[in-house]
Amino acid sequence: MSEEEMSACVKPGAAESVAKDIKERSDLKKSNTRRHNDNKENSHTKTIELGGDEAESWVDRYGEILYRFALVRVKDSVIAEDLVQETFFAALRGRENFQGRSSLKSWLVAILKHKIVDHIRKSVKEKVIENFDFQADQVEASFDDRGTWKFRPQNWAVNPAKLYQQKEFMDILYRCLAQLRGRQAEIFMLREIDGFSTEEICKELNITATNSWVMLYRARMGLRRCLEENWIDDPN
Amino acid sequence: MGHWMFNCNEVSQKVSESMDRVLPFHQHIMIRFHLLMCKYCARFRDQLLLIRKAIRTEEDPDEDLRPSESSFPELRERIKQALRDQLKKKSD
Repeated sequence: MSEEEMSACVKPGAAESVAKDIKERSDLKKSNTRRHNDNKENSHTKTIELGGDEAESWVDRYGEILYRFALVRVKDSVIAEDLVQETFFAALRGRENFQGRSSLKSWLVAILKHKIVDHIRKSVKEKVIENFDFQADQVEASFDDRGTWKFRPQNWAVNPAKLYQQKEFMDILYRCLAQLRGRQAEIFMLREIDGFSTEEICKELNITATNSWVMLYRARMGLRRCLEENWIDDPN
Repeated sequence: MGHWMFNCNEVSQKVSESMDRVLPFHQHIMIRFHLLMCKYCARFRDQLLLIRKAIRTEEDPDEDLRPSESSFPELRERIKQALRDQLKKKSD
């Protein structure tokens, strides 16, 4: 392992205190991504019994925000309601792991984003780009022998300040997100939706820091390409 | 990447990496230098940052799709009821 990798990954044996922290975060992760194991809920039963009232107060405070967010993305009030409900239930199951690293609202929205992407993944099969998982050869194909762009990034007419108002951009972004697959998807979502650091990711998934940067790079290359091919072609 | 200038391929990797960690100072400078001269890599960097921002946004996105305020109490009640049902199911 190179010095660079060591600098970003926790050193084995020197990480007792960090390990505990990481484990807690990993529990959080398990609770707020799609990796729920519904058969192993016994240990959570007590939490759930205690947490019902609290969850209802979350519904009062954040129900509408989450519902609007979901509705804009999935455009179906029944599905939006289902996703919000699943979000609250997932949050309730994972509430002991919420440590206030982000606001409660951010945490709930992050869970909802996972649910939305999962939903799109199931419902919009292969509609945007096939074999989207961006691999080394596709990255290579983006550049010529001298390492300059073969497919030059085009000018995107989008105002970053009003990004969320650009419905089409956001729709395509979520569709492209839903096309990420496997580890690449997992790592990218942990990084960008859950806000995990690469240290946390490489510990959690037992990969090197260098490996995580490569996977994140490929995911970003793929997403950017997906957006460009599906959105920028718009003559306006 | 032992040479003194990055090409676009290398810059694209380093731009992405800089979103995940603080790069060594000399690499940071080399990237800045390249971005000043190369509009495509500058675009690439802006686009990656834009994608990050778009994914992380929690903004309430669209006025048109807002449901009428009057429907919220019912919605809240339905969600709460569904939560109660699910909790009950779990404890049975």
